[in-house]
Amino acid sequence: MRARPRPALPSRRGLLLGGAALSATAALSACTSNESNDSDDSTQPAAQPASDKAGKPVTIGFAGPQADHGWLNAINEQAKNRAKTYSDVTLEITEGSNDTAQQIGQIETLINKKVDVLIILPADGKALTQVGLKAMRAGIPVINLDRVFNSPQAYRTWIGGDNYGMGLNAGHYIGEQLKDVRNAKVVELAGMDNLELTRQRTQGFDDALKNYPNIKKVARQAAEFTVESGQAKMAQLLQAESKFDALWNHDDDQGVGAERAIAQAGRKEFLMVGGAGSRRAMDAIKADNTVLKATVLYPPTMAASAIDLARALGQGKGVGGLAELEIPSSITLYSAVVTKDNVDDYLSTGFR
Amino acid sequence: MVAPEPPTPPPDSPNPPTADASTTAEGPGGPPLLLMDGIVKTFPGVRALDGVDLEVAAGEVHCLLGQNGAGKSTLIKVLAGAHRPDAGTIHWRGEPVTLASPIAAMRLGIATIYQELDLVDGLSVAENVFLGHEFATVGVLHPGRAQAATAELLARLGHPEISPSRPLGELPAAAKQVVSMARALSHDVRLIVMDEPSAVLDHDEVDNLFRIVSDLTADGVSVVYISHRLEEIRRIGDRVTVLKDGRTAARGLPARTTPTRDVVALMTGRSVEYVFPERPEAQAQPAGEPVLRVEGLAREGEFAPVDLDVHPGEIVGLAGLVGSGRTEILETIYGARRPTAGRVLVDGRPLRPGSVQAAVRAGLGLAPEERKTQGLLMLESVTRNVSLSCLNRFSRAGWLDSRREREAARARTRELSLHPDDPDRPVRTLSGGNQQKAVLARWLLRGCRVLLLDEPTRGVDVGARAELYAVIRRLADEGLAVLLVSSEVPEVLGLADRVLVLREGRTVHQGPATELDEHRVLDLVMEGSPS
Amino acid sequence: MSTGNSREPVTGVMLRKQPPPTPAQPPPPGGSVSTVLRVLDVRNLTLLAVLAALVAVGGFTEPDQFLSTDNLTLVLTQSSVIGVVTVGMTFVITSGGIDLSVGAIVALSTVWATTVATQEYGAGGILFCAVAVGVGCGLVNGLLIAYGRMVPFIATLAMLASARGLALLISDGKTQVVDSKTVLELGYEESYILGVPPLVLIFAGVTVLGWLLLKRTTFGRRTVAVGGNAEAARLAGIDVRRHRLYLYLLSGLCCGIAAFMLIVMTGSGQNTNGNLYELDAIAAAIIGGTLLSGGRGTITGSVLGVLIFTTITNIFALNNLQSDAQQIAKGAIIVAAVLVQRRPSGTTET
Repeated sequence: MRARPRPALPSRRGLLLGGAALSATAALSACTSNESNDSDDSTQPAAQPASDKAGKPVTIGFAGPQADHGWLNAINEQAKNRAKTYSDVTLEITEGSNDTAQQIGQIETLINKKVDVLIILPADGKALTQVGLKAMRAGIPVINLDRVFNSPQAYRTWIGGDNYGMGLNAGHYIGEQLKDVRNAKVVELAGMDNLELTRQRTQGFDDALKNYPNIKKVARQAAEFTVESGQAKMAQLLQAESKFDALWNHDDDQGVGAERAIAQAGRKEFLMVGGAGSRRAMDAIKADNTVLKATVLYPPTMAASAIDLARALGQGKGVGGLAELEIPSSITLYSAVVTKDNVDDYLSTGFR
Repeated sequence: MVAPEPPTPPPDSPNPPTADASTTAEGPGGPPLLLMDGIVKTFPGVRALDGVDLEVAAGEVHCLLGQNGAGKSTLIKVLAGAHRPDAGTIHWRGEPVTLASPIAAMRLGIATIYQELDLVDGLSVAENVFLGHEFATVGVLHPGRAQAATAELLARLGHPEISPSRPLGELPAAAKQVVSMARALSHDVRLIVMDEPSAVLDHDEVDNLFRIVSDLTADGVSVVYISHRLEEIRRIGDRVTVLKDGRTAARGLPARTTPTRDVVALMTGRSVEYVFPERPEAQAQPAGEPVLRVEGLAREGEFAPVDLDVHPGEIVGLAGLVGSGRTEILETIYGARRPTAGRVLVDGRPLRPGSVQAAVRAGLGLAPEERKTQGLLMLESVTRNVSLSCLNRFSRAGWLDSRREREAARARTRELSLHPDDPDRPVRTLSGGNQQKAVLARWLLRGCRVLLLDEPTRGVDVGARAELYAVIRRLADEGLAVLLVSSEVPEVLGLADRVLVLREGRTVHQGPATELDEHRVLDLVMEGSPS
Repeated sequence: MSTGNSREPVTGVMLRKQPPPTPAQPPPPGGSVSTVLRVLDVRNLTLLAVLAALVAVGGFTEPDQFLSTDNLTLVLTQSSVIGVVTVGMTFVITSGGIDLSVGAIVALSTVWATTVATQEYGAGGILFCAVAVGVGCGLVNGLLIAYGRMVPFIATLAMLASARGLALLISDGKTQVVDSKTVLELGYEESYILGVPPLVLIFAGVTVLGWLLLKRTTFGRRTVAVGGNAEAARLAGIDVRRHRLYLYLLSGLCCGIAAFMLIVMTGSGQNTNGNLYELDAIAAAIIGGTLLSGGRGTITGSVLGVLIFTTITNIFALNNLQSDAQQIAKGAIIVAAVLVQRRPSGTTET
């Protein structure tokens, strides 16, 4: 086990077992690497804010859930890397936690430290509303990331993905692809069913499919955003439906397992659409050698944008490109469909 | 068995003792088989053994006597290699040895039959017999060979009817004792330690046990025999060692000729064996209404319909052998088993069948046979054990008033002269008799009116028995109704006012205790003459 | 033992000098049918009945899909990973212990075995690493419990937390995809042996070995004894502590094997793997008739328990019913199986 010093990375990463160090030397196998070795390019596509010259120093507190999943991990990365590009930004980032009480404690610590702006990605939006309100009352503007608080008073600005739109766009893409197929059958591999976002995605998907009377959704199973559950549920779906035309999988992480099940069953008669937009999925779309033909974005770049918004709030400025002086109170991101045609534009945003 | 042999039997040949009987015990000049000298064993807070000496000659039955807590159990665990002594020496056939582990003791040829039946319920009879020294080749078992060898051992013990493949948990206690014995004999033994082997055995079983013991000694095997029953020691013992408070009070007394008075005095400082309290004037049929009435109570396959009355102030005894249904009757009255016919009335009101709660609410209390597992929380204090049945009396809105709880419990335990008078002492550290008193105190505190006693003196030493008898009689005199079950006929006859004799689940006799003697009861129990 | 009818004094059967009064009973004759019944045990028959009922439901609702060979293969494959874990768990529970760390150990093993460093060594490296990590965790559990005298519940709970944490640290929350063609191909139809997937063969092998180990070896016998009465086992000369150590090692080994199987199945390693395996394995063992307090356990029952759970999931998926319904059914099956298996008892709870 060798550990090469990697000064550019936080210490936690430095602890990584040999896998990390070796991957840098064997960087060819980019998709199996544990380590991002091109971390700088992930921040490029977002529009540069109007005021990128150093201004008044801003301390930003960032509290998110435990990064035990590719997408959440990408959120942290995006925030950290974005903050690094500004010399006037100090980022106070907490150790992520999925425990509501613990996250509340972490946020209260940040409030006591009197950070200038808070970015909160709550483990559970409803449960953390109170602490959001507390921060706002203490005069600290809160940027609520993705999982929305109960009350608009608990945040200054909300920025997040569009779960309904994600399902809608996935449905429309599949609908267009299968326009000429008679009695087309569609299968859905959902994420964790006890999360509201999963239901919103399914709702959007179903609503889109209503526009295509030739298409019928014949089966749906919910996995748990894990590779293992993706494999297990997909294997069952493949057994249940001996032939279908399209599959929408909510999450590219569980998609690793789903694609494994598909390969094991030797099936390739359908097209598959992913969700969230992992780098691995985008590489596969670009290579065009599997059933995966598209993925619907749920961009983790929102964390980088949140840093921009926080910085602008802290310096009392607006954002470029809008006529208003103030930053909007809510920003919903667009869930673009990434296909072979446009994948090159998005490749750098793909998370690992 | 004293013939010099390799001390370690090969694991594949755990023969019963089949050494040459021709080479019997060495002459009196040779070293003793076992010599323990100045053995000390301390547990946290307790000095269990404080210099014990024991000398066992080859081919003798050496009896070990002592009250509960005298250190007998600790001593035999040292002998079995289960405890390592803190000081003292052990010589085995003249050679100094350390008994570092159970394996080491077994290799020397020491086997132990424990009182608590250290067998595994989940395994079969044969599996228990050969546990730890299984018939196996590189770990793979030969179940057939173990079964055949077990069947042979059981047959030699006079119990060919016990199937080696039967799960041990299904066997009654007496049969477990036989299995335990077979287990001891499955080793190549020179010394067998028997810890109260007769406690769960009936009359005939005890005879059978004695026959086995004399067969063993004829083969030169020595037996260390522990029992509370002096008459047994007189019958089979050669010499006696008496323990008191972790020390050897007397060693090598002749078993047959030492007067009982002397033995009891050595053990207890008292010179009485069984003293039963005075009965109130014998009443043929007590006046007044019975507090407990049992009408045609029956459980199919266990006991036939039973009728009995118990009046306040009366002690009624149930006499019978193991398997006669006496414990089952008691437990059915108590609601722990659901009857298939009949009913139980308290003060003329029938109890809901099969409900312990109903029985307790009506004023019944049971002191079970298995005190340690069914009656007491062994790790808890005396107070907590006593107050268990009526906690809500000391609580307000769920909060316990521990001072009141302690005082109330103490009042009861003092009434029963529970010793030592320390309500915070863990029940585990009490002697058998005082543990029994803790159980009784619980029911007294509860205000119970009918006491069901199942083998109340099991594991209680001689000196404490008389005291316990007196306590039971006093409770009756104070107006309690007592229903007593015991396998010891003199106990039933001496303590009870009226006696029911049971045989194979049937009542064969019912009448005043004064009209019966031990001989007559044994006849009834075995012949079942019509009553 | 009937004492009433043995009043006739048994005259001196002198040990060794006379032949025994009754010849030693030969072991009961074992015809093939009775052997099968003995292997299965009565309790397991009720489990088989449950499984048969499930198969009937599946065959009735989705005859074409459910009763196909493909589906049988699928159910067995999906059972294989948790099945191997359950075999190890059965030993631990039978001995009166518990291993709450199995899921975490599986996660850690999959992650460690799929780091880039490990993958350099190819399929053999992955297999070795997965098994070694499993055994290593089992060793720590065993040492803490047997020689550190920790309660199994606490020791393995601590292992659960730390192994999950370490898995997250190593993987950094990322999914580690496997490169090795050898490993990946084990999951494809080309490597089926006589139509049976290698994963199912491993599962079958572990089951058979586990059955033999529990039923036919001193190790298994002593496991039951330690669970049934540890003190009796100690007095019988069994080194109870070392035996406990071996048991947790065995459970760790099963986790390592299961981790490798999971890598084959998902083609990746992830720190979220093995989620709630501990509960699934315990549930399967319990409905299979293993006593949670120790002293009784059967491998056959545990494996039937696993198959029942997987079959439920399969039937529900084939009928396009959602996870909520699946979870309710799982709970109901646990309760029903335990109730059905309980022997009719005359005594009421006191």
